[in-house]
Amino acid sequence: MTKGLIQLCYRKIIDADAQKAWDKYVFEDTWMEFFMQTQNYNQEGKYRTFQEIADNVPAAANLNYLVSTAAINYIRQLKDIVPDIANVYGKLCLPFNRFRFEIIHADLKDKDGYKIAVYFYSEPVTWIDTLDGKLLIAYGDQRENLQSGAEVETEMIALQPYLNISSVILGSKKSDQEKDYLLSTTENDPI
Amino acid sequence: MCLIRPGPFINTAIYRNIYMLYLKQFIFSNNTLRSGVLSKKPELLKLMERKEFLRRGFLSALGTSFILPMVGACSSDSVDPDTTGTTTGTTTGTTTGTTTGTCTTTASETAGPFPTKTPSSLVMADITSGRSGTKLTVKITIQNKNASCAALANAIVDIWHCDADGNYSEYGGTGMQSTNYTSVHFLRGRQTTDTNGLVTFTSIYPGWYSGRAPHIHAHIYNSSGTSLLVTQIAFDQSICNTVYAQGAYKSHGLQDTTNASDNVFGDGVGTELASFTGSVADGYVLTHTIVVNG
Repeated sequence: MTKGLIQLCYRKIIDADAQKAWDKYVFEDTWMEFFMQTQNYNQEGKYRTFQEIADNVPAAANLNYLVSTAAINYIRQLKDIVPDIANVYGKLCLPFNRFRFEIIHADLKDKDGYKIAVYFYSEPVTWIDTLDGKLLIAYGDQRENLQSGAEVETEMIALQPYLNISSVILGSKKSDQEKDYLLSTTENDPI
Repeated sequence: MCLIRPGPFINTAIYRNIYMLYLKQFIFSNNTLRSGVLSKKPELLKLMERKEFLRRGFLSALGTSFILPMVGACSSDSVDPDTTGTTTGTTTGTTTGTTTGTCTTTASETAGPFPTKTPSSLVMADITSGRSGTKLTVKITIQNKNASCAALANAIVDIWHCDADGNYSEYGGTGMQSTNYTSVHFLRGRQTTDTNGLVTFTSIYPGWYSGRAPHIHAHIYNSSGTSLLVTQIAFDQSICNTVYAQGAYKSHGLQDTTNASDNVFGDGVGTELASFTGSVADGYVLTHTIVVNG
């Protein structure tokens, strides 16, 4: 009846070419935060790039987290809806409540080369089918409802670059004694 | 979804009727009609917003029959805002849609909610975030050695410290970790100094962890974000002994490292030891001056 329960993940890349106001704010403010926080790990100014700092200062692995603090309030402004990913109506539709922030490239002397990514992890959705390159999904775990013949609201979302199925449970829902939980991938370890 | 915009033929009639209905409903639901609110027609009237859709549940049979007649009208997608002449509701549109070649016009979408410039999540005065412990007010004054020790305004001050059990809030984890953005990052905060060079935080008295004397980390930047000083604030051990003997601190016991034996403060805490007033019952006030080369 269904393919299974899936989690979608959209990797939104933001760089100096950002056009939308939200993207520009995140670009500017996380760049400033990177500039500020990096000084904790680079007090002698020996390193220029995030990669150099990360390679030479083990504690600098925290920079992804520390810099993300400048993005969190913008992410809250999204009101739980993944940006850019629209349904076939052209409307943003995909709920999320987890994200991951990644510095792709940062050079203290080249702001224009600064590039980051925000991974938005959807809440679990039921993957019913794939039609003409579009996922037919229903929000939440609707496997039992679909199996019992109940009417379920659905959504169609096109497969597109940077949109990934990040975890999956295939098949129908088992009995209560054998409850399924979304398996974490290496990209989505729960806290 | 079918978007109705002002345009010729039947779209105009439908648009106008829906707009009038919208006006009536708006006035009905807003006893106070503010001037100007309705003076401008909405650029696009959308027949159905997804959230409303979800709230009302799946399309009822009535809803479906109401929507269906619109589909034919939607085949015309001409946009000619407000310049259309008078049309009657009986005109039938016959255009066949916007698809040309192999591409289809991307659907129009609202830009809202408009993002607003917002400070880092670190910017907060109360950094407690629900951690239990004895209340501590942290008052830090920043002075500029390069300006005769005058107060330094607009300096950015970050502080962070551990909780009563000696744990820091989640600090990075692995690079592969996703974060629930509603989660809190306790006992970390950022403030900008006022004209007196002062920042004030509300927090709890820090606990301790093995090998270190109790401390608060502080990083001071100038208004451009350039680092001026990274330092730590030391605590009075007699007060620590009082605080750590009670409440949320009791199970963890007394600190295992004194300022004198600490590898950071061991060379002396002359410029790093804060002043304290208060009590366990009323909470403590930490007062400290940090001098930077601004």
